Amino acid sequence: MKNIIDIKGFSFSYDRKMVLTNIYLEVEEGKIYGVIGPNGAGKSTLFKAILGLIDINVGTITVKGGHIKKHRKEVVYVPQKSDIDWQFPATVFDVVLMGRYPHKGIFQRLNASDRAMADQALADMGISHLKNRQIGELSGGQQQRVFLARSLCQEAEIYLLDEPFVGIDVTTEEKIISMLKKLPLEGKTILVIHHDLSTVREYFDKIIMINQRLIAHGDIETTFTEENIGKAYGGQLTILHKTGEI
Amino acid sequence: MEILEILQYEWAIRALIASSMVGVMCGILGVFIVLRNMSLIGDALSHAILPGVVFGFVVAGYSVMGFFTGAVIAGLISAVGITWIQQNVKTKNDAAIGIVFTAMFSIGVMAISRISRQDGVHLDLHDFLFGNVLGVSNEDLYLTGFVMVYVIASVIVFYRYLFATTFQSVIAETMGISVQTVHYYLMLLLSFAVVAALKTVGVILVVAMLITPASTALLFSDRLQNVIIIAGFVGLFSAILGLILAIQLETTPGPAMAVTATLFYIIAVFFSPKRGLVFKKWHQFQAKRKIELEDTLKQALKLHEKNNLSLNTLSKRLGFSAKKTTAYLNKLHQKSLVNFTAKKLIITGKGTEQATKLVRAHRLWETYLVEQVGLSSEQIHEDAERFEHILTDELVDEVEQKLGYPEVDPHGSPIPKKQQKRAFKLSEIGKNQIATIDEKQADEHVSAALWKLGLMPTSKIFILSFKNGQMKIKQQGKVVDVSMNLAEKVCVTRYSE
Repeated sequence: MKNIIDIKGFSFSYDRKMVLTNIYLEVEEGKIYGVIGPNGAGKSTLFKAILGLIDINVGTITVKGGHIKKHRKEVVYVPQKSDIDWQFPATVFDVVLMGRYPHKGIFQRLNASDRAMADQALADMGISHLKNRQIGELSGGQQQRVFLARSLCQEAEIYLLDEPFVGIDVTTEEKIISMLKKLPLEGKTILVIHHDLSTVREYFDKIIMINQRLIAHGDIETTFTEENIGKAYGGQLTILHKTGEI
Repeated sequence: MEILEILQYEWAIRALIASSMVGVMCGILGVFIVLRNMSLIGDALSHAILPGVVFGFVVAGYSVMGFFTGAVIAGLISAVGITWIQQNVKTKNDAAIGIVFTAMFSIGVMAISRISRQDGVHLDLHDFLFGNVLGVSNEDLYLTGFVMVYVIASVIVFYRYLFATTFQSVIAETMGISVQTVHYYLMLLLSFAVVAALKTVGVILVVAMLITPASTALLFSDRLQNVIIIAGFVGLFSAILGLILAIQLETTPGPAMAVTATLFYIIAVFFSPKRGLVFKKWHQFQAKRKIELEDTLKQALKLHEKNNLSLNTLSKRLGFSAKKTTAYLNKLHQKSLVNFTAKKLIITGKGTEQATKLVRAHRLWETYLVEQVGLSSEQIHEDAERFEHILTDELVDEVEQKLGYPEVDPHGSPIPKKQQKRAFKLSEIGKNQIATIDEKQADEHVSAALWKLGLMPTSKIFILSFKNGQMKIKQQGKVVDVSMNLAEKVCVTRYSE
């Protein structure tokens, strides 16, 4: 198996507080990973580090054996929906078309084939009929479909999704997960920050459990154990009992 | 003076051209300033270029290029300074802007008043503050023209970069677009535009030409490209009309342009087709009529079920006048939802279907409010009265799914099920239910067996009873026995209620 992301001894602190400590992690190509851990465990920070959005203080992170800057096109990020100006004058199509931006040089224009790909991505997510709507006019589930369509349109190899199932309807969740599960068959690698432990087994091949440090990672069967969950969630275990998972 | 008469003068034509160009480029750039929540920065930058202008004068004398270079340098220093403070010092963002621009502006004002006391120097603070569009030189015009072309070309060429960084800077960054570089480039363009606008509107009012036409345009369109074009035109018209107004009223052109831009904005606030207040009121009025129409239909169904439907009972129940009720009934009649036969008012099948939809939405919403929101059953009716008209079919289905397909609402009234065509096997249909035999069956043996029994495809059947492995069903008045073995293979469709 080929490692597509390689994290060696990565630590990150913010405002003199350690967010992540000494992470060693290899992500295999063509697998779908769940990234779990309690709030404030550093899941989003890990994503931002892989994406090169924060400066790495200690350790190294390589993507496809090199610096992220050389592989921007191949990595796509779907952040949490919260930090978006929904009044922004952009239609669904405008947003999806953004997926083609990394493939264009400064003086290149978007062409008919880019538009066709955006149309295809809209169709794949079942939102072709919303093409000309302003993004703020959509429901939460529809908005999430737009961002997933954009990521499909980018034709990336690595997908990083931060809590894609928050605040959306059941149908959209099913649609998104069935789409995500198809991607590893094309050799793509998916990392999903996830908080619903009851669906972990159903959704992912592999799991990464973190709580400021790496608790465990590997196949679901061997890694997603009561013991590891206990370690990752510590004192919050009582809440988990209520979900009926452990 | 008459307009045509004024245009005989060269200074007037120069003023008109300069104002038009400033209007267009400020309008276009302003869209990004407004969308990036940088209105205050626009204001700050326009004030902060003042010391640069004075510096340019000291070095190069009364030269347009000297002013321009000095101003752009001062603008960029301020932009860098503001950003540096925001990123490295624990000072609030807007306070950082305020500190930098007032300091720069004050230095500029001090320098001007110091220099202008020297002999033979004509540097008027008033011109910088409010512009002097009537004193525009040819050199000024060339500079403004160059800047406008540069700004427009930049926006076209770097459109994707501007769009991505303005809309979602994080995503832009992951796509390899340097958000920082785009930010400073925009600051550079802004400094250019501010210097060019110095002569026409002056530093104090540049911000009006930046944010007012852009805000107007944002009320008109949902697509950035269109917003930019509209903002350019609004800026253009504000500048031209403002200038004409100023000459007519013999007043200062800069403020007149700002006032004109504001008038356009006010018109947009009330009359823009999508977001204007007048249209909102109109939509509210339309919505109210729709609600009353739907209520009329719903109450008609309820009275119909009690065998008590007439114009009189209906208007009493709705609390409408007879005239108003008649008007709504006529509307419903046009849509063939109700009918008047032999002077009797009846509700049609289509009408019943639509009214049932409303009842379904109402009761599901009530159930949702009690079960998921935790309201008591006394509090919910009014809310449901409103929501039954707003909820889309998809939403109602979603609510139903979320609630786990409840049978009754919190008041104990049955919740109508969605009318849905569904495929069944004949054996699955219950007693006293109706189904339709499908045209296409699993294989020809089944078709042949049905044919032998005289059960025709696409015909309606009624289930009478189940007994000893036999189903008794009725079709067109004829009773037929079907063995359960066969019934398990027969495909039927039924409208679940």
